[in-house]
Amino acid sequence: MNLKWKRLAALLAVMTLVAAACGRDDSSSSSDDSGSSDTTDSGGDEASGAFIDPSIDCADYEGTAGIDGDTIKIGTIRPADGPYAIYDQVTTGLDAWVTSVNSEGGIKAGDGNTYKVELIKENDSYDPGKTPALAQKLVEQDGVFAIVGTIGTENNLAIRDYLNDACVPNIALATGSTNWGDADQYPWYISGLPSYALEANYWADYIADTKPEAKIALLYQDDDFGTAYQKALTKAVERSNNDNGTTLEIVGEQGYNPLSGTTTEAAVTSLSQTGADVFIVGIGGTPCPQTLTFIPESWAPETYISVTCAGNTAMSLAGGKDVGVIQAQATLDPADPADADQEAVKEFKTKGAAAGLDEGQLDGGITSVGWGFGSFFGMLVENTDKVERADIMNTAFSLDQPAFGLVRPDIEIKTDGAADPWAIEGFRIAQRNADGGWDELGPVKNRNGESNELAG
Amino acid sequence: MRSTTPNWLRWGGGALIAVVLIALPFQFEAFRVNQFITWMCIAVAAAGLNLLTGYNGQISVGHGALYGLGAYAAAILVTRTTVPMLLTIVIAAVICFVAGVAIGLPALRIKGLYLALVTLAVAVLFPALVEQFSSLTGGGRGLALVVPQEGCPRGRPECPVRWESPFGGLENDQWRYFLALAITVVAFVLVANLVKSRVGRSLVAIRDNDIAAESSGINVSRTKIITFGVSAAIAGVGGGMLALLNGNPRVNPTSFTLLVSIYLLVAVVVGGASTVIGPAIGALVYGVFTDVIGPELPGRFENATPVILGVLLIIQMLVAPNGIVGQFKEIQAKMASRRSGGAPEVHNGATPVERDTP
Amino acid sequence: MNDFLEVLVVGLGNGAIYAMLGLGLVVIYRSTGLLNFAQGELAMFSTFIVWTIWNAGVPMWLAIIGGMFGGFLIGILLHQVAVSPLGDPHEKPLAVVIVTIGLFLALNGAAQLIWGTVDKRLPPLFGTGQVTIGGVSIQWQKIGSLLVLAAMVGLFLVLFQRTKVGLAMRAVASNSESAGLCGVPVPRILMLGWGLAAATGTVAGVFTAPQLGLGTNLMQLTLIFGFAAITLGGFDSILGAVVGGMVVGVLSSIVPQYVSAFERMPLAPAFILILAVLLFRPQGLFGSKQVQRV
Repeated sequence: MNLKWKRLAALLAVMTLVAAACGRDDSSSSSDDSGSSDTTDSGGDEASGAFIDPSIDCADYEGTAGIDGDTIKIGTIRPADGPYAIYDQVTTGLDAWVTSVNSEGGIKAGDGNTYKVELIKENDSYDPGKTPALAQKLVEQDGVFAIVGTIGTENNLAIRDYLNDACVPNIALATGSTNWGDADQYPWYISGLPSYALEANYWADYIADTKPEAKIALLYQDDDFGTAYQKALTKAVERSNNDNGTTLEIVGEQGYNPLSGTTTEAAVTSLSQTGADVFIVGIGGTPCPQTLTFIPESWAPETYISVTCAGNTAMSLAGGKDVGVIQAQATLDPADPADADQEAVKEFKTKGAAAGLDEGQLDGGITSVGWGFGSFFGMLVENTDKVERADIMNTAFSLDQPAFGLVRPDIEIKTDGAADPWAIEGFRIAQRNADGGWDELGPVKNRNGESNELAG
Repeated sequence: MRSTTPNWLRWGGGALIAVVLIALPFQFEAFRVNQFITWMCIAVAAAGLNLLTGYNGQISVGHGALYGLGAYAAAILVTRTTVPMLLTIVIAAVICFVAGVAIGLPALRIKGLYLALVTLAVAVLFPALVEQFSSLTGGGRGLALVVPQEGCPRGRPECPVRWESPFGGLENDQWRYFLALAITVVAFVLVANLVKSRVGRSLVAIRDNDIAAESSGINVSRTKIITFGVSAAIAGVGGGMLALLNGNPRVNPTSFTLLVSIYLLVAVVVGGASTVIGPAIGALVYGVFTDVIGPELPGRFENATPVILGVLLIIQMLVAPNGIVGQFKEIQAKMASRRSGGAPEVHNGATPVERDTP
Repeated sequence: MNDFLEVLVVGLGNGAIYAMLGLGLVVIYRSTGLLNFAQGELAMFSTFIVWTIWNAGVPMWLAIIGGMFGGFLIGILLHQVAVSPLGDPHEKPLAVVIVTIGLFLALNGAAQLIWGTVDKRLPPLFGTGQVTIGGVSIQWQKIGSLLVLAAMVGLFLVLFQRTKVGLAMRAVASNSESAGLCGVPVPRILMLGWGLAAATGTVAGVFTAPQLGLGTNLMQLTLIFGFAAITLGGFDSILGAVVGGMVVGVLSSIVPQYVSAFERMPLAPAFILILAVLLFRPQGLFGSKQVQRV
């Protein structure tokens, strides 16, 4: 605890220095009724300044929009109906986090004030064609301070230009698409998940370590999400063979189109005939556990699954075929008996239950992700010396602290502007056991600043 | 049918609607204006579908695909060629015309429900086609409508297409709104004139009895195929508008799933099949329901939007199977006949054909 | 070769499911002369009923019977409340299509409200075991689905060809007016058709759910394959639904594995075949030709 405070203090000191160095234009935050002191306006050299300087980057910068007295208004967009309505559970988690924070009085921000949070939810039915108007509504009509935990790669892409041009933070995107690595061009975006490409590299590294002659069969979802795995894995295999002398080989590769209305059964059957001894399932949602049920008895590959389907809800759909699958794991699993004693898990379960989450939601691995996005936002507010849009993003892009929320304790949270825009860049390798938990095969390794380079 | 509305009321009503349409973008916030633009796109596509399904009696559950094709055609042309932006919508219409004729060819042999199912398959195949040709369409990740231009944020060489009003004073979204409104009005006037013409009468004749139509000298095959083409072209215009004008800088295959085809059909039938203005009313009702009322429902009911929509749809079909406009006309006709003491006009099961459009 | 045979087995398994779904569509068409867009959602809904009963600890076969009965009742109810008041469906085909679309939306939304958005697991009726024949492994579930399909076909053939009810259904579908004049209780027959179709759909759902996972979008795209099956086979042919289902299942499983142009659109090969067939036989492979009245 003591250490935590020391680090926080150090971080604040760094933040103050950084802010002091940038000579921010403060005209837009003049109506600061919260009484925070403005000691950071000492002016200075622009060159070594903070990552975002709204006086240069923003045409109409409204830094404190959405902050009304002691309330911060945030918005999120998710599918509440239709075939992807399952992701609404993520937002339920975010909502529960908000309820929980407010019931405790609010978030104690770096500026000394305590803020309550108001969450406005919009429904785009997962259709990226509907997302832009909703983002516009949140920003222009509801006047939110930031967008938090919005679902879907394509949906977040659809509003990327708008939010960046309007200088509105989009925090903890519910996707690990490699697109979010471009903080140089889009500095108002920060992902709430690790990069999918980085995840694929952890698989590849572990395979190279343990099975240097592995024959790999790859099944990937035919969209931004799945092709991120496919590209990164292909590149990682090549690199490992060149640098480490392994003879990894991708012997079979199949794309799966979730809009096609078929199952992965034919593809899995085909891949089972390739003689592969490693099977990588780079798909999400229910088709992922279903794929495990299609693996024929005659084929017993070492199977890797996407972190997006490693939660208890998805795994329980595999009809027992989940035992033995391997994942690269970045968060604590509330359903894992081995993680039950972790402070963060206990806290999540107590507070989550108090905020109205039921047992299935607490253990399912979907709702907890949304809770994590809330914690991400809360962590940024706590660490920001001044609750203003640009400052929040500058905090987000200069993090250096231990894990927060349900992120695994050994993972370091480090960012550094466009050079390292990914907050979570660590995984451990874990294997599903028969008790619904995960056995550690390889400890947490941090690869800070490598996500972009490894994207392929 | 003799017009039953006094002239001054028609002109007055028309003027009022015009004033409202022009005032709208100044009264609402940009996001609403963008939603209005989307409704207009749906209205135009539904008008195209109405020509085929309402007037000509060929049920298509695949117009979402043509709508999508128009959107993708316009988007690809804008990003890959230097064709002026509005012209891309015209080219998109031509491409959709060709596609419509291609889909319509089998329709000569395949009728009724079989045709509905073939078009249904087209609707289902479309998103998959987009993924298959991902080098052109961007596949599942969507296609960004970015073009090289000056003054992009952070010194980027390209950024999303912008619609600066040449007249000044108008906001970006307002300018796009008026462009969309202009195209919509043109499309509806075109359809109105078409159905009033000899061609329009032969469409209805074929729908009501194609063998009788053939024997009265109408070239049924040619008319049916061309109707399919024109209907597709209009749907393509709606799609092109959607891609370029609704303020979304990307097109995605998930925006053109089977559900869109279904919603287009719903817009036609709810508004009033084989009435000129019906599809616009249908699109308006659908838009108001999903974009305005749905999100305002209290939290518990928000997830129930589809149930409410489905139930309302059934109720409407039971109460007013001819759609809102059709029902309105029926009431009007009844009142007129009561006034003149004659027997009410009987529509032999089919929906009334509008002949008195402005 | 083994490779091919293994995938062929997958295709036949899927084909059996498409055929079952097709059977339900044929039943509706045979009794009402209509296509039901809500057929898939009815099947999904009653499969959830099966799951609910099974989840309460009841044996699976009993749960299936319960689900079929539930589906039967819901089918009848929906017909009485939503479809029947429209009057003669042949007069207003578009209105009926829209009503079934309304049912589609309402059933799907209602299922999401009742059972939530988290998918459920329904285990395979015939277990997860498999048997190896000539080097090709076949799951018992697939063999079971073929047997169940065969039993369903037998039952329907008897129903339509040997029973009064079946005869009445055919009469109503071909000309409800004259059927009514001959003393056939038309409304009751239509009602029965909807109930039967829903019960048939339950069986299809019970076999689909272990493949796709039991969620509210269980049937949205699966139904398209069922439609493809009966379009190929002919709307009113029991045998056609089976042959059509099998062909669609096999084509959509095998072709994408070998022709990369179809990798992302498994339905396309079947669709091309359907178009080709329809151009020469507009009534499908086994369908009976409709006489057009002038």
